[in-house]
Amino acid sequence: MLYILEDAINGILMGSIYGLAALGLTLIFGVLKVINFAHGSLLMVSMYVAYWTITLSGLHPYVALVIVVPIMFVFGYFLQDIVIKPIFKAEKNVREPITVIIVTTGVWYILDNLTLLIFGPQYRTLQDNPLRGKMLEIGEFMLSVPKLWGFGAAVLTTLAVYLFLQKTDTGRAIRATSLDREAASLMGINAYKIYNLAFGIGTATAGVAAVTLVPFNNVFPTVGVLFDIKCFIIVVLGGLGSIGGALLGGIIIGLIESIAPQFMAATWAEAIVYGLFLLVLFVKPAGLFGVKNDW
Amino acid sequence: MKILEKIAVPVVAFSLLIGTALLAQAENVKIGNIEPMSGPSASLGQQGKAAREMAVEEINAAGGIKSLGGMKLELIYADSESKPEKGVAEAERLINTEKVHILSGCWNSAVTYPTTAVAERYGIPFVVPVSVADKITEQGFKTVFRIAAKDSWWTRDQFAFLKDMETEFNSPIKKVAFVYENGDWGTGFATQWKELAKKAGYEVVLDEPYPSTSTDLSPVVQKIKRARPDVLMLVSNAADAILLTNTIAEYNVKLKAIIGSGGGHADPSFLKATGKNATQIFDIVEWETDVNKPGAKEANEKYKAKFGQNFSGEAVDAYLAMYVIKDALERSASLEPAKIIEALRATDLSSGPGMIVGYDKVAFDQTGQNKHAALVIVQVNDVGKGLERITVWPKTARRAGYTPVFPMDVK
Amino acid sequence: MTRKTLERCAPLALLALALALPLAVQSATYMHILIVLLFYAYLTTSWNLVGGFAGVLPLGHSAFLGIGAYTSTILSLQYGISPWLGMIVGGVLAMIVGVLIGLPTFKMRGAYFALATIAFAEGFRVMVENIDKIGPFALNGPRGLQIPPLGFGLGKMLFADKEPYYYIILVMLVVVLMLTAFISRSKLGYYLNAGGEEPEAAMALGINVARAKLIAMAMSSFLTALAGTFYAQLNLYIHPKSVISLDLSFEIAFIALIGGRGSIAGPVLGAMLLRPVSDFSRIYFGDTLPGLHLIIFGVILILVMTFQPRGLQEPLTRLYHWVIDRLSSDRRTA
Repeated sequence: MLYILEDAINGILMGSIYGLAALGLTLIFGVLKVINFAHGSLLMVSMYVAYWTITLSGLHPYVALVIVVPIMFVFGYFLQDIVIKPIFKAEKNVREPITVIIVTTGVWYILDNLTLLIFGPQYRTLQDNPLRGKMLEIGEFMLSVPKLWGFGAAVLTTLAVYLFLQKTDTGRAIRATSLDREAASLMGINAYKIYNLAFGIGTATAGVAAVTLVPFNNVFPTVGVLFDIKCFIIVVLGGLGSIGGALLGGIIIGLIESIAPQFMAATWAEAIVYGLFLLVLFVKPAGLFGVKNDW
Repeated sequence: MKILEKIAVPVVAFSLLIGTALLAQAENVKIGNIEPMSGPSASLGQQGKAAREMAVEEINAAGGIKSLGGMKLELIYADSESKPEKGVAEAERLINTEKVHILSGCWNSAVTYPTTAVAERYGIPFVVPVSVADKITEQGFKTVFRIAAKDSWWTRDQFAFLKDMETEFNSPIKKVAFVYENGDWGTGFATQWKELAKKAGYEVVLDEPYPSTSTDLSPVVQKIKRARPDVLMLVSNAADAILLTNTIAEYNVKLKAIIGSGGGHADPSFLKATGKNATQIFDIVEWETDVNKPGAKEANEKYKAKFGQNFSGEAVDAYLAMYVIKDALERSASLEPAKIIEALRATDLSSGPGMIVGYDKVAFDQTGQNKHAALVIVQVNDVGKGLERITVWPKTARRAGYTPVFPMDVK
Repeated sequence: MTRKTLERCAPLALLALALALPLAVQSATYMHILIVLLFYAYLTTSWNLVGGFAGVLPLGHSAFLGIGAYTSTILSLQYGISPWLGMIVGGVLAMIVGVLIGLPTFKMRGAYFALATIAFAEGFRVMVENIDKIGPFALNGPRGLQIPPLGFGLGKMLFADKEPYYYIILVMLVVVLMLTAFISRSKLGYYLNAGGEEPEAAMALGINVARAKLIAMAMSSFLTALAGTFYAQLNLYIHPKSVISLDLSFEIAFIALIGGRGSIAGPVLGAMLLRPVSDFSRIYFGDTLPGLHLIIFGVILILVMTFQPRGLQEPLTRLYHWVIDRLSSDRRTA
């Protein structure tokens, strides 16, 4: 029983970090109606930015947020503005332009391989940072401290994004655009600017996720691919476009990954994740926590 | 007449140009190398490339292939991206368009199977520095030669090492746990481990494949911890080897020994990325920087100065492969594939700059397997100069003055 | 020649050219590149029945490829059944799976459908990796299956030379192209098209959109599985990560979108444009600057999508008509 509890807590912690990683994806989908296949690569870029910021400055990983998050926001903002916007303009009349998916995939290939060219294939981990390898021990019971921090960051970031969308004027403009682009335009909202903003915020949350991950995970050029599929599954489980759903979807995946291996091989746990995903799609396509019409 | 001249001059000039180009091409022995240069195994492909380059530079600087009039070796690379079908396409291209005389590669066993089949069809010699699956030399191919030990030898030596440790330190082992990546490589090792464990009388308390794309291995580590094995045996790629090592240290899993199987544990970034968490881990490899062989130290220094990291077992195999090829070419004195294959089959290389490996000789058996290939087991430890990999087994190869730590006593 | 005869002759001329090509291409390297090109053209044309005409974006077609490859390979390795027969068995199996997957997923909208197909294919790969045996059939888990290069011959679909492979895949491509042309003119094509663009309106007109999509899916998965057998016989080795790979599923979609989704020529054009780029950039840059070839690939994807979102088929069709127009005796006056 104690084992299960220990696994469940680890699952919730790790899962919340997955949810945080997927938050940007669901936000970008909600507003732009496009699956951003480059999301894993943006997470990877964020991890490199976080790694180098922390290594070069020697700051506490979470202090590095003040550097990583703005950098990633600007990166995402201009990526959307320069690379993706032109296609939106060309495909004005399509609700979910598939061409944009292909463009984001192009971005994925470019970012991953550019990183390989610049930094080489080496694996990097943060050395000697205040969080590395720290465990909270209560008798036999063990919890990873960096994951606890990650959990906190995930909950706070999700809450912050939610409140931002609900309570601020810009947030309302983003929601209006996501509901009805034309109507929003008529009300004087510049939809493309909103897109840039949403993409920037989505990328910035990937930056937060990267900061939570680097204290205990590896950084290498294809690390984003490991998170890509996971993020897709999470956002569909939680409901595409649902902010809180991403966190909950992540926690579900985390729980399965953590508890299922205690009863079977870890490779079968992976199969369960896909099985559950397909089941949810068939039974409740809007996702477990999604609203019928994606906001 | 003037017109004829006008036509003839450029035509002659052009043919001369083509002629010299062809001649220039014929002056080199071309070695086609299929390696994962991009994608998930890029790190290994690039080590293989660096090692080959160093060997070929040395060979060419020393006058090339003397029996062929000082012919130089030329390396041509192709990127497999770790994908079998890309490897097959590249093998076809290297053989038909680049007209390579010899092929070499591919690290990923999954790429090596079908590419060696292509070479077999064209009768082109294929020297495999390292791709450990037994099957590669058991396909009945006549053109395949493997330098590295095959996986049944790796697993055999891992168990022989355990037995020796048990007696040397009088510390019995009862329970073993197997944790491995769920690819061709990991499952291949695990199948043999299970048989060996039965023979050795060990109880297998955990037999756990895990997806090599895992982002969190703490569930697997928890499983290890709860199974309470004496010895943990691993097959891991780089990213998961690092993650596992760090997580095992975090969860403070008490074990008598952790034994890796090269690959991720031997990756040059492994020690840097795990730091002191890797202390006292054992790993089985083909070569180590402290091997007691003339020239080994110098070769490693040179390699390190050039590429910024130590020679790994994989890289040394690639380095040696070039010298094995050179040796065969000297004896064949011909670029005819059949002659090269004949020469490779008769290989009996025991000296020269390439022979920095732990064993004494390269010679191939009927299947093309290097029958002298042997392995050493190292322990990661700090003996005053930072963490390094120290050869501990076989005892004859053990670094002078070092006593292996068994059972592990970190923390 | 009149415009009509020209238009009729052009495809035949192209076919004749394709049939004669092996005579001109002596190098096995280029033959192999051509075979892979045709293989992708075939795969993408099969994909296009769903991805193009039905207006959804399936990103998991490699699962069907895997079913085809595994079925025929297991049957021929373990029971000595000719891959030609195994090909059909694999096709039927894939068709059944395709319909089962199509039933619930076709109700979904764009992004959900794309993600569902990805998850299906990935889940399927994980299953195959975990299974050593299904009853008497050895899948060999992650170790895959190897076809020994012994006993060449038509019956074994195994050849020492490249030409037979070339003609097999060429015939397969021509057949699937003719099928596509036939469907696009049939009622089914019309239903699919209507259902893809305006599903609500189509349903209001009494069109059974779901049924049309299912039929398209059945055909598409059947045809894709046939290519799986071809893949296995060409490369002589299959393992889960190579045949059931996301990269492959994606590449099919790229080719279709670059060429022009939903058009008959689009997939072929896409393969003719993207495959050489991918092959030659890997050959020329693969060793010196690792990964550069994939960067080039990414840049091309972005550029084409930005400037020709309907695919390259559109400007090329215009060019074709312009050429035909110039050549024909009854030239239209501008």
